[in-house]
Amino acid sequence: MKSALNSRFELTGYEMSRLIKISVFGKFVPIGNLRGGPGGRCLCVLSLLHYFGFWGYWLKAKHGHRLNFIKPMYRRIKR
Amino acid sequence: MNFQTYYSLTSLIERGRVAAETKTTVTFDLFDTLLIRRIHDPDLVKLPVARFVSALSKEYDCPVGWKKVEDLRDGIERTHRSKTGESFADHEACYPKYMLELLCEIFGESTGPKLLDRVTEYELFMENSMLVPRVELVNWLKELADAGKRIFIISDMYLPASHLKKLVAHAGILDLVEDVISSSDTFLAKASGEAYPLVAEKYDIAYKDWLHIGDNGFSDGMRAAEVGIESLIIHDPKEDQRKSLIQRYYNYSDGKPFWRGRVLQQLMAPHEGENVDQSPLYIEGYNFIGPMIGLFVQRIAELCIEKKLTKVFFLSREGWTFKRYWEQAMPALYPQGGLPEVEYLYVSRMALAGASCAYNGLTKTKADIAFLPSGNRDFRDVCRIFSLDSSRFEACLDRFGLTEETCLSHIHDGYDPENRMKFVAMLEDVAFQHEVKAQCKDSNLAMLRYFEDVGLFEHEDVAIVDIGWLGSIQRFLFEAIAHRDDKPTCHGYLFGATRGIPFNTSDKNSVEGIMYDRDKFDLAGSTLFYARDIFEEACRAPYPTLNGYKLKDDGYELVFRQTDDTIGKAELVQDSYFAPLQDGIYDSAKRFGAAAAMLNYSLADYRPWINAMLVNKLAFPKTEEIFRIRNQHHLDDFHGQKKPKAEFYKGFVPLWDRPQWQLRLSPLLRIRCFFRHLRERINE
Repeated sequence: MKSALNSRFELTGYEMSRLIKISVFGKFVPIGNLRGGPGGRCLCVLSLLHYFGFWGYWLKAKHGHRLNFIKPMYRRIKR
Repeated sequence: MNFQTYYSLTSLIERGRVAAETKTTVTFDLFDTLLIRRIHDPDLVKLPVARFVSALSKEYDCPVGWKKVEDLRDGIERTHRSKTGESFADHEACYPKYMLELLCEIFGESTGPKLLDRVTEYELFMENSMLVPRVELVNWLKELADAGKRIFIISDMYLPASHLKKLVAHAGILDLVEDVISSSDTFLAKASGEAYPLVAEKYDIAYKDWLHIGDNGFSDGMRAAEVGIESLIIHDPKEDQRKSLIQRYYNYSDGKPFWRGRVLQQLMAPHEGENVDQSPLYIEGYNFIGPMIGLFVQRIAELCIEKKLTKVFFLSREGWTFKRYWEQAMPALYPQGGLPEVEYLYVSRMALAGASCAYNGLTKTKADIAFLPSGNRDFRDVCRIFSLDSSRFEACLDRFGLTEETCLSHIHDGYDPENRMKFVAMLEDVAFQHEVKAQCKDSNLAMLRYFEDVGLFEHEDVAIVDIGWLGSIQRFLFEAIAHRDDKPTCHGYLFGATRGIPFNTSDKNSVEGIMYDRDKFDLAGSTLFYARDIFEEACRAPYPTLNGYKLKDDGYELVFRQTDDTIGKAELVQDSYFAPLQDGIYDSAKRFGAAAAMLNYSLADYRPWINAMLVNKLAFPKTEEIFRIRNQHHLDDFHGQKKPKAEFYKGFVPLWDRPQWQLRLSPLLRIRCFFRHLRERINE
């Protein structure tokens, strides 16, 4: 017994790991028209959010005010 | 400051229980506290409403694009807010007032007010479909109500309390609360802190006896604390994660079409109390087959409007599920109406095969269809399929040197091509065809009476919707009515069109595959070939197939197949096994409709995601998925009981028919099967 949406907010049966596998496979073998596919960066960001998002937001909620020094660094990386 | 922030509902409720012991009144914030939204941005609900208003404007001959409607609404709301700000501390707006102004501006002073209720109803419907009550908080609220506490809901919102009550009632908690208070009624909001004295005075509450629960540190926390109310604030990182994910899926879907299907599924996903543990089959229904059916019926609706089709006939038995899905999902997508009528049509290949021969006789193509299933071998099988009495063809068979048992199928022992030639020659014999027509006349007449009853001949253009695969039901249906002058133009839409036998397309009769059509090269869609049966079994109606139409003096009778024989019992077993899967499909329908209305994408937009989903699920399934979804019994009366020769079973075994040990242990099995599938599709 499982729920349709798991505790990481992934659809049961379409976890990110499975999506990554099929999109990597699709890079080498024609599997159909994916109109550009998911994109590596999107997959990375979403995987991080699904798997570690809770802890990130927990840290932000609890100690966000102490982590302000990270913001300029983050902005530099994003640039 | 007398407020504390909690990072999980459990710890908040734990503290709340202690605090509530000394309080007489507990107030709750509504949005993001008692109710959470499936979407990250509440303003997104305004988009389907803008599209609805735009659709209405076309109906009333004052067309305005939905983007323009949205801009107008935002502008009017902004003006209302700044006007309120001149007299009050809070810049609040009241929905009925600014929506009325918007409608009057678009539709004029006389029509605008008449449409307000309709638009409001749709706005609340969309809000309701996007709101989910937080189970833990609702349970605690029930505890508090049982303990005799006074409970209020206070919200800073543009919807007045009368509208908010509808949302609260939909969440099932209206009976537990004494009143719902909205800032849009008084323009005194929690944000300025002026709502608290107002509530205290109106309901005679002492601040020291008051506990407030909310999610906003400023308006629910600090402002409440300033007047002496103890308040507890929830800041749930889990919610931040959920909203952040949906926001990214939504934003990515704008630039990358691949994510459009995923954001649809993320929006229709169950949350909180809806997201309980279910059987794995239910999840397959909810996450895989349900959305596929949703996109199928959504596309049919688009085609019907585009081609001005006035009625949709969903063919039995898979049409049962399609029609049910349509009825639950389409009202959200087309609130303005304009959809064709829908009807479930009792038909089957067996029932129509005979009826289709009443005027054209038994054609060679129809005989070829009869010999497609491997279990059909001889003339008796042909007679079984076309409801003919084989004994009345003895003389005819004799003349052509055939018997009822002469093998006519090349995959059975004893096949002689000469005999098939003789059979084809017999099909051209006038006496043979005369007998066929005579035998099929009654069932055709009974069928026509039934079709007249359901209004098939009252429309000029109709959609005929079926699961697939050759379109043989529609072929038989059209042949059975082709002699009538009032026959409608039949636009056939199949879930998957594999087109094993060429379809005789004409101006009056055409067929098109929606999710897959062999005539349009679609590699991912063609993975339906892996396991067509699961879609049939998953969508099948919970009653036996139709055997035929029986003529009665004053009408007709639909004759259904018995359920007490081996095949009938096996079908019941299969139905009960797939019951959770069907529950999953039906449960997904309403949420699909709301999510699809929110996103406003069409099938072409969702196609990349569907393609990935089909390849994932059908070509590269997990072993347990195959064993879970693979049907235990697939029943087809069209298919005879004769066994083909041994060589027929040799050769390639499809992935979904492989034994468990191969699926688990055979190296690169799925990849090998996929390459073979690619080769077959390229070469066909």
